[in-house]
Amino acid sequence: MPESKKHQKKDHPHSPYGEESQELIAKTQKRFAVINPSRMCQPLGAVQALLGIRGAMPLIHGSQGCSTYMRFQLCRHYREPINVSSTSMSEATVVYGGEKNLIQALNTITHQYKPELIGVTSSCLTETIGDDMDSIINKFLQNNHNKIDFPIIPISTPSYAGSHIESYDQTLKALVEKITHQNILKQSLKGLKDENKKSSQINLKDKINVITGLLSPMDVEEVKFILKEMNIESIVLTDNSQSLNSPLDGKVDFLPSKGTTIKQIRDTAYSKATIALSNHANSAGVFLEKEFGVKLFNLPTPIGLRATDEFIETLVKLKNNQISKTLKIHRGQLLDAMVDAHAYNYNRKVAIYGEPDMVVGLTRFTSELGMIPAVVCTGTECNKFKQEIELISSQDGHEIQIISGGDQYDLHQKVKEEEIEILMGNSYSARIAKEENIPLIRIGFPVFDRIGAQRIKIVGYRAGLSLLDLITNTIIEKYYDNLKEEHL
Amino acid sequence: MPYDLFEVDKAIPERKKHIYIKKSDDPEAEIPSCNTKTIPGCMTERGCAFAGVKGVITGAVKDAAHVIHSPVGCTAYGYGTKRYPTTSSMPDGSEFPLENFNLKYIMGTDLKESDVVFGGMKKLRQSILEAAKEFPEANAIYAYATCTTGLIGDDMDGVVKELSEELGKDVVAFNAPGFSGPTQSKGHHVGNHTLFQHLVGSKEPPQTTPYDVNLIGEYNIDGDLWILKPYFEEMGINILSTFTGDCCHDEICWMHRAKLSLVRCQRSATYIADLIEKEYGVPYMKVDFFGPRYCAENLRAIGKYFGLEDKAEKVIQDRMAKIKPELEFYKEKLQGKKVWVFSGGPKNWHLPRPLEECLGMEVVAVSTMFEHEDGYEKIKQRAKENTVIVDDPNSLEMEEIIEKYQPDIMLSGVKEKYLAHKLQLPCVLIHSYENGPYIGFEGFINLAKDIYASIYNPVWNLVEFQDEVKEEPLELKELSAEEKSTLSAK
Ligand code: SF4
Ligand code: SF4
Repeated sequence: MPESKKHQKKDHPHSPYGEESQELIAKTQKRFAVINPSRMCQPLGAVQALLGIRGAMPLIHGSQGCSTYMRFQLCRHYREPINVSSTSMSEATVVYGGEKNLIQALNTITHQYKPELIGVTSSCLTETIGDDMDSIINKFLQNNHNKIDFPIIPISTPSYAGSHIESYDQTLKALVEKITHQNILKQSLKGLKDENKKSSQINLKDKINVITGLLSPMDVEEVKFILKEMNIESIVLTDNSQSLNSPLDGKVDFLPSKGTTIKQIRDTAYSKATIALSNHANSAGVFLEKEFGVKLFNLPTPIGLRATDEFIETLVKLKNNQISKTLKIHRGQLLDAMVDAHAYNYNRKVAIYGEPDMVVGLTRFTSELGMIPAVVCTGTECNKFKQEIELISSQDGHEIQIISGGDQYDLHQKVKEEEIEILMGNSYSARIAKEENIPLIRIGFPVFDRIGAQRIKIVGYRAGLSLLDLITNTIIEKYYDNLKEEHL
Repeated sequence: MPYDLFEVDKAIPERKKHIYIKKSDDPEAEIPSCNTKTIPGCMTERGCAFAGVKGVITGAVKDAAHVIHSPVGCTAYGYGTKRYPTTSSMPDGSEFPLENFNLKYIMGTDLKESDVVFGGMKKLRQSILEAAKEFPEANAIYAYATCTTGLIGDDMDGVVKELSEELGKDVVAFNAPGFSGPTQSKGHHVGNHTLFQHLVGSKEPPQTTPYDVNLIGEYNIDGDLWILKPYFEEMGINILSTFTGDCCHDEICWMHRAKLSLVRCQRSATYIADLIEKEYGVPYMKVDFFGPRYCAENLRAIGKYFGLEDKAEKVIQDRMAKIKPELEFYKEKLQGKKVWVFSGGPKNWHLPRPLEECLGMEVVAVSTMFEHEDGYEKIKQRAKENTVIVDDPNSLEMEEIIEKYQPDIMLSGVKEKYLAHKLQLPCVLIHSYENGPYIGFEGFINLAKDIYASIYNPVWNLVEFQDEVKEEPLELKELSAEEKSTLSAK
């Protein structure tokens, strides 16, 4: 943890504290407190995974504030109606445990929303109380004499350990683990009915599972586009491309009407391979490999040229086919633009802040562009992240300041120290950009002070191209447009 | 029967008593059941008690640092949620060095597993010290309990008492963990009592006048306060303390010195006015500044109290003259449009009448997140026959309200907005506003303008769905000779 240094917003010639307090304060260092956190809590990651599953309702077992806050975050980011249910624990129920509330909530959701799946996450409150969600869910199922025709999946998400990144991973794993489990296979679940007849005729063994990691709907769309271009039948975990970027068509979905189906999740066990496009969300893939022998390929998120190449090369190897012409053209266009833009981007110092996969990918990409990713920051303390960045740093010869498990305060310090010229991060970092008078490329989660967060693209060649345009034009506007005449 | 069980609520018949349809010959006591726990699993729009205190009451104070005693989530979500800007000017004429400090920073104790097991007091103490060091400018530090810390029973009061002495500045603990009440309203209550108990009466204002008022329950959402302030200035009335929009910590400490308290948001802040009246004998008056008529009536009442009737009249005439032409324009455009108002609490009785009287709209549905009996009584009084009044609607009920009552526009919050849009119902935000402020004479025009813009958004003429189109197959008409010739020329 980086320590507090010369953070001087203003000079304080006269300390407002008395002598004794001054002594006390002098001994104090920023070690415990978090100032403007840069990570979210666990249930949010679970909810994000569940929003890509057809007919899934996320239920947070805790007080209703947690789920309301998360809905608020998600709604203002995606600008879509989003439902996240709560067991609405209150003072009285806190004392007696949450069994009654959880059973009642499952009942309400079952009857009101007719889901194809309920994902039940815990919250800090119910973790602290120690509610045993598995046995409460079992009780609910028994009470209903097996009339429940959809899976109810418990996911443990105590936020005082970890962040939304870990829980996103754990949720995928829990889904795959529970749904590929035998007992569930025997049941006649409504989610198993596949509307898409054609896809069920395809040999399951030809399919490839793709774990996307935390991506925007448009990025998931791009992953699907690439797979289609390469003629690959896939199962995407989890597919939020339509549920969180849904058209205005006169209907409102209370549960995602599009997304990965229960049947698809079950079929992951039979697929030829799993590609995890994330180093932080591959547990479901590890499980499938161990349990069912589905080979796991762990790739970096396809951001920028080389990482996208790697993704496509893997697909080529897996299917023994050729690279699609269209993809080749897209690649060429990106290369062309990289050459054209270099004069503006060369040696620009950039700071990148957000989820680990995204930050690693953008670090690679900006370095491909000839920029210097001088500061990278993620909210979770993570060794894998540090190693990935160190690898890039040793390959490209840039010295990169790594903040892993830091907050925005730490980020701000480094942005100042390193004299960063352009910042990439979510809306929270807008304050830093403004104070340092540098431009901000809004990316990641949450982006609530601009429109179109669900359409932000960073994955694949095409997104690389539009992102490159955005970065370069932002740099031109900031550092070239106002040149004094004598410089022209 | 004045209560209605919605189609979507068959599985939860308890909801029936929360949905009331106004009939004027009903006994007075018939109002929706309210301020009760949400049914688990019911998709409520309500928040938690912690959000009620930090997000509403204290978050607007310009010079206090906030320390949330919680795992990371509550702190992260409690950051930057409301739009209540502040100026840097202080009552003694000095400048507070950090602009919009209240919007920019939040601190948290970031509880870890071991803290949950062994208690988080040490960490709380340390974090408050860190806040003191990091933000020496802050004139007070406010610490908040959340569900986890409420449950493990950390003695926050003890810690802040110690630290207040050690630091020589006010450190205040707010004990409103999320689970402590059915809605954010519980947090308002705790916030009022805590601030009253610990602060009011502890400091003296730099100067006083015979025309000093407390403006209570005005949080300066999107600059509301800055609309109201000039009215008072022109009347010769001095706002000694605002509770809490654009206020500083010390203003709360000297609220006992006002001659009169004006209670603007009566759901979240009547408590403190009441306490101040009981303890210090400062009377209070409930006021309403939404819509020109209420605004005028209330300014007159305040003018009368201070013997400043003429001046009040002047303000009213001046503003009315300014807004009249625009008001007429919007009234013509909005005449007969049906509206659904869904706010947290009081805007549900503030807004309907002005929308009807001044804009010619028809309020068909009213719903609230956390209103209590007294509020529902007012809503009922002001509602027209057959208006549906819903306490804490769930998301399915919302769709049913839209289908049954066919509003042309919804006034609500961000979580509801996108649901409305999908159903082609325009929606204007009234919690944090679209292009506010919405209060006062000029603010009402802003609201009317936003409503008008949303209803007359040209996109609504373009919305056409495929299945609708499919029903009328395209008829190919015979080309005219002229058209044929131009085609063949190509
Ligand atoms: S844990 Fe409690 S205080 Fe924190 S957001 Fe959830 S309900 Fe509110
Ligand atoms: S209590 Fe835990 S789960 Fe709820 S908002 Fe806070 S950190 Fe998140």
